[in-house]
Amino acid sequence: MKKWPTISNYFFLLPAFLIYTTVVIGPALYSAYLSLFKWNGIGPKKFVGLKNYYNLFFNDPVFLISLKNNLTWIVLTLGITMIIALGLALLFSQNFRGRTFFRSYFYFPYTLSFIMIAIVWRKIYDPSSGFLNEFLRAINLGDFTSTWTADPNIALFCVFAAAAWQGIGQPMILFLTGLQTVSAEVVEAATIDGAGKVRLFFSIIVPLMKETFVIVIATLVIVSMKVYDIILGMTGGGPANSTQTLGTYMRAQTFLYNHFGVGTAIAVVMLLVMLLIIVPYMILTARSD
Amino acid sequence: MTMENTKLINKKIYKNVFMYMGLFALAAIWFIPMVTVFLSSIKSQSEYYSSMGLFDLPNKIYWPNYIDAWRIGKLGTYMRNGLFVSLVKVPLGIFVEAMAAFALTRLPIKHKTPIFLYFLLGMMLPAQVALVPINIAFNKLHLINTYFGLFYVYIGFGIGFGILILRGFFKTIPEELDDAAKIDGCNRWQLFTKIILPISKPAIATLFIIDFLGTWNEFILASVIIYDNNMKTVSTGLMNFIGEYSTNQGVLSAGVLMSIIPVLIVFLFFQRYIVEGMSGAVKS
Repeated sequence: MKKWPTISNYFFLLPAFLIYTTVVIGPALYSAYLSLFKWNGIGPKKFVGLKNYYNLFFNDPVFLISLKNNLTWIVLTLGITMIIALGLALLFSQNFRGRTFFRSYFYFPYTLSFIMIAIVWRKIYDPSSGFLNEFLRAINLGDFTSTWTADPNIALFCVFAAAAWQGIGQPMILFLTGLQTVSAEVVEAATIDGAGKVRLFFSIIVPLMKETFVIVIATLVIVSMKVYDIILGMTGGGPANSTQTLGTYMRAQTFLYNHFGVGTAIAVVMLLVMLLIIVPYMILTARSD
Repeated sequence: MTMENTKLINKKIYKNVFMYMGLFALAAIWFIPMVTVFLSSIKSQSEYYSSMGLFDLPNKIYWPNYIDAWRIGKLGTYMRNGLFVSLVKVPLGIFVEAMAAFALTRLPIKHKTPIFLYFLLGMMLPAQVALVPINIAFNKLHLINTYFGLFYVYIGFGIGFGILILRGFFKTIPEELDDAAKIDGCNRWQLFTKIILPISKPAIATLFIIDFLGTWNEFILASVIIYDNNMKTVSTGLMNFIGEYSTNQGVLSAGVLMSIIPVLIVFLFFQRYIVEGMSGAVKS
């Protein structure tokens, strides 16, 4: 058998490696470098060290709002989106008529873009003719009407509801896949031993699906840190910066105010926060094995 | 039939009834946004702002909203551009990813795992991290407002997921096949194009569908590369809609409904691939 030369094997990797490095890794590293400068994008760069970061954390209330909003978003996503997705997955893992239809039905919004979702949900929240206010008036609860996304106190939650509508499909499918790996025999044995439904879920199913939980939680944290388009489409970060996230604030600093150093610093913080949550979580789960 | 049995069966029926009621209720709530958009899309502007409630149907369906969105709102252009961009980017990207996945699973190269992890890193990085350097570089290289620039960046950001899926599938193809091909005188390139790629049709189909939807929906990267209105794709184009038609809700609603139709068609035909692909990504 003829042996294949070794060096040329790497040519198969080359296109992917080059494109990926120049588009993703290279620019990411250059962003980290740029974040150490004060720069308006055109004139000379002035080295300021970590001052951009210092200013963000100590002199920039909007940045702190954005960071808090991302963290709130993570909590909401894990507490609401993930739980609904898990509930539906448990339901759809059982055999009943219409199971496939409903599974697809709840998954479908996930295939829509956030800009589409934003336009669709603006119709829900529109104060004068939107669904929510019309509905509240129709059932004589007119007192509870609100300006929804225009009210700084609740705007973030309103946008989150739209994102949850879109986002349960993905974790639901991941959970369904995970549930398939839980063998029917184990469940049966536990039931015979007298384990109730709740007990069965927490003592058998959850531990057996540990890997699925790691994947779902890591994915949802990443998605929550990246949240961007839906905010831009629904509120643009307002009112009064109340729905600003790191993603949208990074855009504002960079492309509206031309603060390139600050913008890249925010992007770096985005990534660091993401790592700060995911890495310890993964280490903890790996260690408990 | 004993009393005991009847009781058990009754209990089961009640349980099912409750389950279906809950499911239908949740499904109904999930349907509200689409109904709302549809109702807005069939009303003229004067009807929309008149005392007519959201739930009142207009006497006559106002179709011009759809025509205006398509022609004046340029949705037709955006969708054509989106189709072009997706249909060129997706096959190109898959080919590049498949070559890399082929090297990572079937060729004797060193450091396979670190290289694979290096590619996976990109799935986690938010696009924001790369946005500014890409924008600066593309300005210098005159790649702003070019589809080449857009393809290049899209392929770069898609590589992680593509390699993940394809590598997972390639690993399941038995090694004996390679040996047989070598004995028959196949070189590496022939092994790749004539044997591995054709066998991998299911994985490629899955990746194609997921990548097609992702490309069709992409917003953030397109928004810093394509500024020319005649070149915009669906998401960036719809963002224009929000600005231009904020006072004409009928056209805005008609536009978004039309832009959802291709996604719905792709989903209805290929949902099996989408769902399987997602679970396949987890398993690998």
